[in-house]
Amino acid sequence: MKIIVAIKQVPERDAQIRIDAAGKWIDDSGLQYALNESDAHALEEALQLKEKHGGEVIVLSAGPERVGSTLREALAKGADRGIHIDCADLNKLDALGVARLLAVAIKPEAPDLILAGLQSDDLGQGQTGVILAELLSLPHSSLILHVDKTETGLTVKRELEEGWFQLIELPTPAVLTIQSGGNKLRYATLMGIKRAKTKEVRLLHATELAADSSPVVILEHVALPQKQKFTQMLTGTPKDAAIALVEKLKFEARVL
Amino acid sequence: MLPLNATLAEPQHFSLVEKLLLVLLIAASTAAFWLRLRVLLGKILQSKPDAGFRLFPIGKRLWDFLWEVAFQAKVIRQRPLPGLAHAFVFWAFCAFALVTLNHFAAGFGHGFLSPDGRFGRFYFDFAAVFALFCAAGIFGLFIRRFLVRPNWLGDKLSYQSGLIALLIFLLMVTYLAAFFVADVSSAARILWWVHTLAILIFLPIIPHTKHLHLVLSPATVFLSRGGFSRIPPLAGDEDFGLIAGTDLTRLVSLQAYSCVECGRCTEHCPATNTGKLLDPKEVILNLRSYLNEQGPTSDAPLMESLAAPEVPFQCTTCGACEFQCPVGIEHLPILIGLRRGAVNTGAWQDDYGAKLFLALERGANAHGLPTAERDKFIEKAALPIFDSTQEYCLWLGCMGGYDPKGREIIADFAQVMNYMGASFGVLRKEKCCGDPVRRLGNDLVFRQLAESNLEVFAQSKVKKVVSICPHCVRTIQEDWKEYGTPPAIEHHSEFLARFADKLPMEGAGGFNPRNAAYGHAGALAPEAEKIVYHDPCYLGRYRNVYKQPRAIVKLAGKLVEAPRSHARSFCCGAGGGLVFLGEESGERIGQVRAAELVSTGAQTIATACPFCNSIFRDALAECGETSPQLLDIAQLTARSLPTAET
Amino acid sequence: MSGIWVVIEDRDGRVSRISWEAVAAGQKLAALTGLSVHAAILGAHTELLTAEVAAKALSQVVRIEHPLLDSYTADGFTLALQQFFAAEKPDYVLFPHTYQVRDYAPKLAARLGQTLIGDITAINDGPLFTRQLMQGRLSGSYRHSGNGPCFVSVQAGAFRADAAQPGTAAISLFSPSIEPSQIRTRPSERFRGAAQTVDLGSAQLIVGVGRGIKDPANIPLAQELATALGAELGASRPICDNGWLPAERQIGSSGQAIAPKLYLALGISGAIQHLVGIKGSQYIVAVNKDPGAPIFEVADYGIVGDLMEVVPALIEAVKASRQ
Repeated sequence: MKIIVAIKQVPERDAQIRIDAAGKWIDDSGLQYALNESDAHALEEALQLKEKHGGEVIVLSAGPERVGSTLREALAKGADRGIHIDCADLNKLDALGVARLLAVAIKPEAPDLILAGLQSDDLGQGQTGVILAELLSLPHSSLILHVDKTETGLTVKRELEEGWFQLIELPTPAVLTIQSGGNKLRYATLMGIKRAKTKEVRLLHATELAADSSPVVILEHVALPQKQKFTQMLTGTPKDAAIALVEKLKFEARVL
Repeated sequence: MLPLNATLAEPQHFSLVEKLLLVLLIAASTAAFWLRLRVLLGKILQSKPDAGFRLFPIGKRLWDFLWEVAFQAKVIRQRPLPGLAHAFVFWAFCAFALVTLNHFAAGFGHGFLSPDGRFGRFYFDFAAVFALFCAAGIFGLFIRRFLVRPNWLGDKLSYQSGLIALLIFLLMVTYLAAFFVADVSSAARILWWVHTLAILIFLPIIPHTKHLHLVLSPATVFLSRGGFSRIPPLAGDEDFGLIAGTDLTRLVSLQAYSCVECGRCTEHCPATNTGKLLDPKEVILNLRSYLNEQGPTSDAPLMESLAAPEVPFQCTTCGACEFQCPVGIEHLPILIGLRRGAVNTGAWQDDYGAKLFLALERGANAHGLPTAERDKFIEKAALPIFDSTQEYCLWLGCMGGYDPKGREIIADFAQVMNYMGASFGVLRKEKCCGDPVRRLGNDLVFRQLAESNLEVFAQSKVKKVVSICPHCVRTIQEDWKEYGTPPAIEHHSEFLARFADKLPMEGAGGFNPRNAAYGHAGALAPEAEKIVYHDPCYLGRYRNVYKQPRAIVKLAGKLVEAPRSHARSFCCGAGGGLVFLGEESGERIGQVRAAELVSTGAQTIATACPFCNSIFRDALAECGETSPQLLDIAQLTARSLPTAET
Repeated sequence: MSGIWVVIEDRDGRVSRISWEAVAAGQKLAALTGLSVHAAILGAHTELLTAEVAAKALSQVVRIEHPLLDSYTADGFTLALQQFFAAEKPDYVLFPHTYQVRDYAPKLAARLGQTLIGDITAINDGPLFTRQLMQGRLSGSYRHSGNGPCFVSVQAGAFRADAAQPGTAAISLFSPSIEPSQIRTRPSERFRGAAQTVDLGSAQLIVGVGRGIKDPANIPLAQELATALGAELGASRPICDNGWLPAERQIGSSGQAIAPKLYLALGISGAIQHLVGIKGSQYIVAVNKDPGAPIFEVADYGIVGDLMEVVPALIEAVKASRQ
């Protein structure tokens, strides 16, 4: 199977968030970057499919130069080659714009399967994979935990709300967005890193890809949320505290 | 009664036939000896050279050789009675060198030690004393092995050992008996021949059995890696650790062939003692079998020669095995080498292991917790930030920065440092020192952590570091050397001991109302509080620090020792990355040790390592309300400080 | 352009609560823009649902019906709405942000050359749509630019379902044309995960029991609270070590790692081995009699008190709130 995994390099989960001078995005000086979590699961699913059925796993990512290190990391975990779409201002694009870039790079490869993580740790839109399917006119499914290859195509396990699951059959080529936690991630190894040194990473330039990039949705400004995390102690008699807690859980936290 | 002027009888004349026979026998014996030894030496020399091995400085090597080989110090100290018996045998062999040479020379009519000459007579008597002790020793060891049968010598009776014991005994007896017969008697002749045959049978047996250590172990001790648990650097792009025969190095092969099967390593192994599959002696002997069957040029996987692939991962790296070994086998680099082979290639599939590696690949601490948690703690405890103006950098580590108990220890130690007027600060950003991944054999993540941390240290211009965790101390001081020059670092017990005279502690029998804040309701009774100190593996065996923490404990109460203490201390089970690997099978190492500490009847258990503390905390929870209180030495110190005036 | 369209989703045959919230959001947007609000329902048999929706203050409710819309597929729903919106030309299309919507709304938007503004938590003047970024550590305000409909999906709980104003709406029917060959995915019946094994890792609500429970005889009380909440029961290590609960319920570094919406820690002090296992929880509530217990550092809500008094009170309060 020829599998393309679309991955994104995002700020580390641990990162200190500071707003930049213009108030339009975060200040990225001194930020550490890492592979997006659900993309790591997508990559793992692809690698497991390759181990079972043979073929090739290609990782694809758009972004500035620093994205190269995440592509190398993916190669170290076992991907065969990479494609880097050099794009200096990925932030200015909306999900449709990003998907268009990726689609132009994917089309000539004509893969059997395209995997993407469910959503990114930074913007969290969860749309790129679905839009890709539309742009490439391919069937898709999202929130996928497990992928099985069959005679006629694929059978995938999709997560539904409240602990329900569903199996979906679809033909290849197809696009799937992978939910975190469906498989166990492999760790990076010294051997993987050494082997990755000789694997190819092809460089494409966003400006040359002739993709329509004017955004329809614009991020006007960003702000740090008012609430900082602190512990609300509920006092009074056990009965009072209990009632207050349930109120909070229902209307403030909205988990009941 | 031995007549005082009795001397060794030496047959004077051997016939030509006898001389020819002697030549043949010597030839056969030495040939058999050499043919086998040659093969083994070949295996050792065909093995890969050791990366990073330095012969110099030679002083320590000479000293270790003298102490461990000549004086048999390790052999005796760790198992006194059998050790002494063995020492006698060894010293007798040394003393007999000259005698044996003379013995064979005499067979050709050219004996150079004359029983009539002054030196000759003296030497024969001298050797006779050794022979007596040797015979007694070997007899005792025989009884021990075949009648007493201690279980770390294994279930199977070693007939090999029996034969050797018999031969040695025969050698000594025939020598001593020669004092009671006349030169020209046929008895003397018979004794001479029996003695000769015993030697000539013994010689070829040496390279075919564990008695190879007679030849190899002096070299093994001399050629040690140069430090306790010294992990060699990987050699080049294709080296990932010990995977196949081709990865075995000369030191590993030499050490595998030196094993005497004494079982001291196994006796003290916390894994073996709690029913795990890991048995350090078996690992070494399996390596030896591998070398014999496959050899150092084989591609066959080493792991398959072990009982199971999880065997190397049951090791806590406590070092009791390597510490005990009388012939200089260094088990830890071998076990870690096996781990490296499995981890650096991704062959090791373990959920917890993967979780640990992924956490450290992405984040900064081994728990996978956000670094904001550490920042919150620093703020809450009002710890000063290191800005190059302070003398010390206080390293929090993963336990001190994130574990509630570790944080208490840090807070108390910071209090003590303030009291003593020592200027210190904590780094704004710390990554895990890398100890768990280093011991688990993940060289990729370790390199990333070491290099990242070294850069922070350099940028912050850190000169002196003090840490509450012996694992951090060891890893920063020794293991980071592979990637740069770490700053000087010491353990907080070493720091505290230096300033012991400044501490306002009451000492044994002291009473301090602050004690009420630590564990027990109400202040302790005025009689001395018994405190049992647990030696952490990474502070004791790894760093040789035993006195300093005890100095602190003695100031706080009455020090009592656990049955296994100092270099014999029994591991808590957290080391080697195991604390991050989920639950142990079988009995828990920490519970065994906790029970041992509780059995001393002490009211307090003193620790000097936050991991030991964490393990014992869980183990003691089972004891309920009656368990002793558990305090780090920093807490013992802090509780005696005068309360701040508010 | 025809105003604001809210796409309704059903849950087990009735309008889902989150759909009512989307209607409420639509009504707020209407107030800001002066546009009218309508609703659309997709399916094969939408009569009953439509009747429910038509009882709200909406201009109209359209039943988009086709046999091939009986079970959800991305292809089917996208086609149907594409055809419907080709005629209607909406200004805004609001969806409830459900798994289903995440699966097709971006596709529909892309087909119309638009981008969905997903999972919004507020609508303000502009209109500006607010959503969470960086896993809730940053909020961003988005606006739509250009021509064409603006697609938005609304986060659960961001608007109150009972804020949807009642009224009467006109009902009409729309029949899209969909060929079976256009539906490329074949979904099966939904199913639950294996019922026997305890999978704390995917449970959304968990009650954890620690040493503060004191006695195994008190565990049924914790179970009662868990049942009242619809939560799973978990425990810290000492409880499982003592055999008071099976080892598969252990939460912590050597047990399971959990990531529920809500974790209620009863009598748990908060040792690091346990904290490591619960750090994925969205909200943590701690009940402990020791005000200095480390668990309070990581809890969002805390009650200091005796479990034996607080837990029964909680059970009552939870049951009362369900009514």
